[in-house]
Amino acid sequence: MTTAGIQDVRSTAARRQHLDAGDRGRTVLSRKVLEKVAAQIVVDETFAGGSSGGFLGIGARADLTARPDAKVELAGNVASLKVEVGLPYPVPLRQATNQLRDRISSRVSEMTGVEVRQVDVTISWLRPAEPDDGRRRLL
Amino acid sequence: MRQHAGTANRVWLTILALLCLAAGAYLLLLASGTAGASESPVLSGPPEEVTGAGYAPGAVLIAGLILGTLGLWWMLTQIPRRVAADTFRLQENPARGITACNPSVLAAAVQDDTDRIPGVVGSTALLRGTAEAPDLTLKVTVNAWADIREVMDRIEGAVVPHLAMALENPLHSLGVQLEASNKQGLSGGPVTSGGTVVY
Repeated sequence: MTTAGIQDVRSTAARRQHLDAGDRGRTVLSRKVLEKVAAQIVVDETFAGGSSGGFLGIGARADLTARPDAKVELAGNVASLKVEVGLPYPVPLRQATNQLRDRISSRVSEMTGVEVRQVDVTISWLRPAEPDDGRRRLL
Repeated sequence: MRQHAGTANRVWLTILALLCLAAGAYLLLLASGTAGASESPVLSGPPEEVTGAGYAPGAVLIAGLILGTLGLWWMLTQIPRRVAADTFRLQENPARGITACNPSVLAAAVQDDTDRIPGVVGSTALLRGTAEAPDLTLKVTVNAWADIREVMDRIEGAVVPHLAMALENPLHSLGVQLEASNKQGLSGGPVTSGGTVVY
């Protein structure tokens, strides 16, 4: 490549850096994406779970590794979430759901840039925590 | 476990007793001649004179319907029913969100907990009251191998504290109904062992 060619490339890159983020394009997140992000955060980063199996919600069973149901209402850049989760039993439910709420709010905001104002939590099942069998688990 | 219409029965029986008492007192007064001559009829003329000529059938019909409805309502209230609590609202902060839990979810967890007690072959839990002062009614079916004292100790020492911990409030009241059965206990799952296998 010639020196002139290198200069052209550098100047184009420099021009791009000077453009504002808004001028470079727009990122649009659908409501479904936010719902999946919130549900995945619950499974990956908290002690709560969802339900798996069944047909049209009939016969579903408690599963701590399943994504819970999450619904999002968006108003501009502000979201309100509703999640339906299952928790291990016994745990102090108020404390556990407070931690869950804080985690969802902070991580969804961090990952998507959407401000989470309110998280409604419905507890759909409670199951005794499985005893640790001493085996190493694959991560 | 089920609620009966005790209050309604007492109220209606009191009303009927008062009516019968009043009728008896009136008959006594009639018999003694204080309330007038006993030979004179209750209605001196036809019933239309009391209600008016055109209204007698209608008045009788309405009175019959009212009495029939009251009788039907009283009969329906005799059906024993389970009165569970409404959804527990554990947190209600409009700024941050609400936390809700159906009492049946907690009752199922209590049942799971109870069914793990040796000798217990089944249980039914019902939660009433509020999340701050819950009332727990527990029906436990045990078999011949159960040690009743141990079952009660486990209920009071583990099942109830677990529920109190979950709700972060002590129980307002606890009712336990024990039943005996010849059913087999739960088969349970596989057990883990920390022993060493020597080849």
